[in-house]
Amino acid sequence: MLTTISPTEIADWRQRMPQAFRQPLSVRLRRLALLWGFAALFAWCLYDFGFSPERIVTGFGRLGRVLSFMFPPHVWTEWDEIDAILEGLGETLSMAFLGTILGAILAFPLSFLGAKTINRLPLLRFGVRRGFDIIRAFETLILALVFIRAFGLGPLAGVMAIAVSEVGVLAKLYAEAIENISNKPVEGVVASGGSRLQAVRFAMMPQVMPVLLSITLYNFESNVRSGTILGIVGAGGIGFLLSDRIGAYRWDEAWSIILLIIAMVYVIDALSATIRARFIGTMGTTR
Amino acid sequence: MEKHNLTLSGLGRSFGSTRAVDGVSLDIGPGEFVGIIGRSGAGKSTLLRLINRLIEPTDGRIAFGGQDITALKGKSLREWRRQCAMIFQQFNLIDRLDVLTNVLVGRLAAHGFASSMAMHFTDAERALAIRALDRLDLAPQALQKAGTLSGGQQQRVAIARALVQNPRILLADEPIASLDPGNATRVMDALRSINNEDGITVLVNLHTLDTARAYCDRIIGMRAGRVIFDGGAHQLTGEVVRDIYGSDDLGEFNESVTSTAIRPAVDA
Repeated sequence: MLTTISPTEIADWRQRMPQAFRQPLSVRLRRLALLWGFAALFAWCLYDFGFSPERIVTGFGRLGRVLSFMFPPHVWTEWDEIDAILEGLGETLSMAFLGTILGAILAFPLSFLGAKTINRLPLLRFGVRRGFDIIRAFETLILALVFIRAFGLGPLAGVMAIAVSEVGVLAKLYAEAIENISNKPVEGVVASGGSRLQAVRFAMMPQVMPVLLSITLYNFESNVRSGTILGIVGAGGIGFLLSDRIGAYRWDEAWSIILLIIAMVYVIDALSATIRARFIGTMGTTR
Repeated sequence: MEKHNLTLSGLGRSFGSTRAVDGVSLDIGPGEFVGIIGRSGAGKSTLLRLINRLIEPTDGRIAFGGQDITALKGKSLREWRRQCAMIFQQFNLIDRLDVLTNVLVGRLAAHGFASSMAMHFTDAERALAIRALDRLDLAPQALQKAGTLSGGQQQRVAIARALVQNPRILLADEPIASLDPGNATRVMDALRSINNEDGITVLVNLHTLDTARAYCDRIIGMRAGRVIFDGGAHQLTGEVVRDIYGSDDLGEFNESVTSTAIRPAVDA
C-alpha cells in the first residue's frame, strides 16, 4: 500500500534524512528568538505611545458621537452651495486627471532609462533609479506645500504636486513592469534580424502596455482619493470645503461631502474597471 | 481495494461555439494503461481535465464504480481529485518550495485548515513522501527547491506527489512533451512501474506514436473532440494514424520524424 508505513521504516528514514523531519536546533532557536523579539518590539511600541485600553474605549465613545452626526445627512437646498460643492468635486477630479496624465507622460520615457532590460549602462540606470527614489521621498502633500509657496494657492499647485510625485511612482512601477516581461518574444524579434529598438516596439511594448494602463488607471483612482487631502492645505479641490466644514463643527455637512467623495470614487473605480477590461482584452493581443 | 471502472458517457465540453470534447463515451477498466493520441487541439487535455473535474463538463456524465463523479462538490470532489492524481506537461510544481513539501501537497486532501495553513505534516507523511521520492531516485534532492531541478527530475517529483495521494487513477497530460529522450524514457518507465506494481490505472496523453505503441495496452485516438479510434497498439495502422492526425495533405506520414525514442540511425 502506498499510504501505510511502519514505525521502523519511519525511524529509518528519520535517521537517514533528519533534516526532512525537523529543522536543526540552531534554526529553530533563531526563529523563536526572532518571533519573541518581534512581539517585544510590538508591545514596546504600544506601551511607548500610551495605548492604554481606557484611552481607546473613551476615544471610541467620542468617535461614536462624531459618527452620529452623519444621520440625517445634510441636504443642501441653496443652489449656490450645491454649485460650490460640485465645483470642488470637479476640481479634485480634474486635478487628479491632469496630474496623472502629466506624470505618466514624463514617467514613460524615464522608465525605459530605469529598466535593466533596456538601459545597459549601469551608472546611468543607477542615477535614474535614485532620481525616482528622491522624487518618491517627497509625499504629495509635502510637494503641495512647496508648490503653494511657489505658484500660490489653488489647483495649479495641486496638479503640479500630483504630477511630480506621479513621475517618481509611475516611472518606478513602469520600469519594473518592463523588467518583468518575458524575453522570449524579444529573442524572436532579434533572431529575425530586428534591431534593439524594433525589439522594444514589437516584443516589449505589446507585453507592457496592458500593465502600464492598469497601473496608470489605479494611480488615477488613488489620486482622486488622495487629492481630497490637497484641498485641506489649500491646493484646490473639495478638500478645502471639507476642512472648512470640519473646522466650523458642521459635521452633518462634512459627512455629506464625505459621502459624495465616496460616491465619486466608486464611480471612478467602476469606470476604470470597464476601461481596463475593454483595453486589456484587445491590447493584449493586437497591439 | 475494490476495483472500479471509469465510465464516461456522452461527455462533452464547449468553449463558446467550439466543441473541445464532443460526446465521448469510454469504459476504462482498473489497471489499464491507456494512451490518448491526437493532434493539438483535438481535446486530449480537456478530456483529462474533465475527468479530474478541473474543467466542468457541459454535458454527459462521468462515473467511477457506482459513484456519479459529475455531481461531486466540495469535500467529496477534493476526495475524488485525490483518487485521480494528475501530472502535467509543465510539471506544475511550486518552484519556491522544497521538493519534499511539493510531494506532501499530495497529502493535502486529508488535511484540515489548521495543519495545512501551518504547513504541518506528520513524520509518517514525511517518511511516506521520502519513500515515494526514493522510488523515483530523488530522495537526495528532497530538501532542494523544486525550481532548481531539471525538467526530468521535476516531472518525477510530480509523479511522487501523485503517488502519495494513493490514487486509483493517474492522469498524465503530455508528461514527456518537454523532456529529452532519456528523461522521457525514465518518466514513462516510472508510469509503467506504477501501473504494474500498484495496479493504478494510467491515462496518458501522448504526442509521439512510438511511445504510445511501446507503453500502452490500449490506445484512444481523438480528433475534433471525438473518439475516432479505440483499440490495441497493433490495430493502429498507418491509415488509422493518418485519419487521427488528418494528414492527408502531408502525403506519407513518417513516424520516425516525430519520434523521440533513442534508436540507432540505421534506416537513415
